[in-house]
Amino acid sequence: MKIGRKFSLMAAVAAGVCSAGAAALVPALGLSGATLIIGVAALTMAVVAAVVFPIGYRHDHQTDLLINELTTMAESRRTELIETGSELQDLRTAIQQAMDSLSARAEEAESNLREVEIRHQVSEAERQHIEAILHSLHDAVLVTDAFNELKMANDRAGELLGFRPAEAMHKSIDDIIVDDALRRLIQDERDLATPGHRKHADHAIPSSIPSDDPESQGMCYDVTLTCLPDSRRGVGGVVTILRDVTREREISQMKTDFVSKVSHELRTPLSSINAYIELLLDGEAADEESRQEFYQIIKSEADRLNRLIDNMLNISRIEAGIVKIERTEVDFISASKKAIEVIQPQANLKEISVHLKSSPLACTAMADADMVHQVLLNLLSNAVKYTPEGGRVTVAVENDDATGSVMVTVADTGLGIPPDSLDKVFDKFYRIENYKRVAKGTGLGLSLVKHIVETVHNGHISVTSELGMGSKFRFNIPYDADGA
Amino acid sequence: MMSKTVLVVDDESHILHVVSLKLGNAGYEVLTAGDGEEGYELACQSLPDLIITDLQMPYMTGVEMCARLKRNKATASIPALLLTARGYALGADDLQRTSIRHVLSKPFSPRELLDMIAEILGESAGDGKAREAA
Repeated sequence: MKIGRKFSLMAAVAAGVCSAGAAALVPALGLSGATLIIGVAALTMAVVAAVVFPIGYRHDHQTDLLINELTTMAESRRTELIETGSELQDLRTAIQQAMDSLSARAEEAESNLREVEIRHQVSEAERQHIEAILHSLHDAVLVTDAFNELKMANDRAGELLGFRPAEAMHKSIDDIIVDDALRRLIQDERDLATPGHRKHADHAIPSSIPSDDPESQGMCYDVTLTCLPDSRRGVGGVVTILRDVTREREISQMKTDFVSKVSHELRTPLSSINAYIELLLDGEAADEESRQEFYQIIKSEADRLNRLIDNMLNISRIEAGIVKIERTEVDFISASKKAIEVIQPQANLKEISVHLKSSPLACTAMADADMVHQVLLNLLSNAVKYTPEGGRVTVAVENDDATGSVMVTVADTGLGIPPDSLDKVFDKFYRIENYKRVAKGTGLGLSLVKHIVETVHNGHISVTSELGMGSKFRFNIPYDADGA
Repeated sequence: MMSKTVLVVDDESHILHVVSLKLGNAGYEVLTAGDGEEGYELACQSLPDLIITDLQMPYMTGVEMCARLKRNKATASIPALLLTARGYALGADDLQRTSIRHVLSKPFSPRELLDMIAEILGESAGDGKAREAA
């Protein structure tokens, strides 16, 4: 509080008290008109003294000074003012009481003032605190009044909508918000809604980061508009909150796509099983040979369903972090030999030769042996599936001391992967459309491989390929469990 | 009387097999194709009475194949039946640009499929067999 303001307030209080004090003195003392004039003059001086002198100044001393002054004035003007000592005493007492009353009221006023000051400071601190909270929010918040002028906006709102909050205050949103659709939302809420009304709307804002993806829709926001009431229960303004829900929408879309893909993949073998069973029930298999053929197809499609469900569950468990990992020292050369043995019959059918090129040194790493076997098997199975008859598959195992890991490469002389599919081959359910007729698959094998290598073992997998020449999958598993 | 010809297009060999068997037993002449492109060419060559097609296939989806067939004067009026594991609902646009009459979700019943074919071809189920026997 400034000093000037303090004194003017004190003077006002004192003036009020002064009038009241003067009125009280007249009947109490039965003084003559002249006496009253002098009394009022004295009282006024006392008030002035009370105002001008600091509150802590001792008013007994002031009273004495006043009495002396009065006496001097009476004597110099030869006024018959005070006839006896008792009248003077009465006057002195009255003035003293008035001074006491004034002093008490001034103290009360100062106390009130102090309280107002404290309340003001508290409310200022609270305002700053609330503003700090608003500015710290990741959501964009802006408040507009009944005239569509900006009353408040946090930093995020400024960043998102392209204005500087401090400079935009009290300006019309027509001048500060370029986004027509958002402006219309705020104006409609102000014009059409009632106080307390709340509305949600989806709103897209083009991303400030340029994207090469033509399907990029920018950022998606959930806009909450709430009408503020004014003192006459009309709409006093609108609070607009924009919450970025881009990621939530993406996850929701991914879930929908995943369910759709899972449903498609499960329905396909189920469809065959269902149809063949119905044919058997309807007696449409011509002979025992046909029936046996149908049984075999039903069995193989049931196995396909089983593999699909197993793969999905394994991926889900790894993603959820609930898979049990049993790390032991795995010899990758032995593990590769074992996987080649499993795949050899399949390779023999297509006259594909499978070779192992290994380092003379032991290639071991702390890993889950079953999972490593699964990785090698999936990569070898794909290599054999997509390599034409008479082709060649090579497994190379070596130590990569630069990265502190065992490096395994599975290369084939197969169809190769189109360049636009290279970054998608590890996605769940992704299958190269034109290769679907070449071999059956769930579209989950490589996704599982990537999860086992990278999520479980903290390793890395990559692929290079040339159409018509073949593909090369390379993965690294760190020597120790921590990936150091 | 000539038996009616149905072209079945699907990249799943088992589905091709089971549908062919069911329709063959019902007296239809069945042609098969393993993808949309092959299906389009076969439809243009053989002008079947009906096409049964999967939705998701290599090279060309079932809907794209049907749209191309409708643009071709010779094949524009051949009715089609879509088999899909996608829970696919045809949009107004798909209906307009193709001659797809029905969508059947996988897994499907071969019996229901047969009834639907008969309905589209304007004959009662079993007519094909009756025709063959005659």
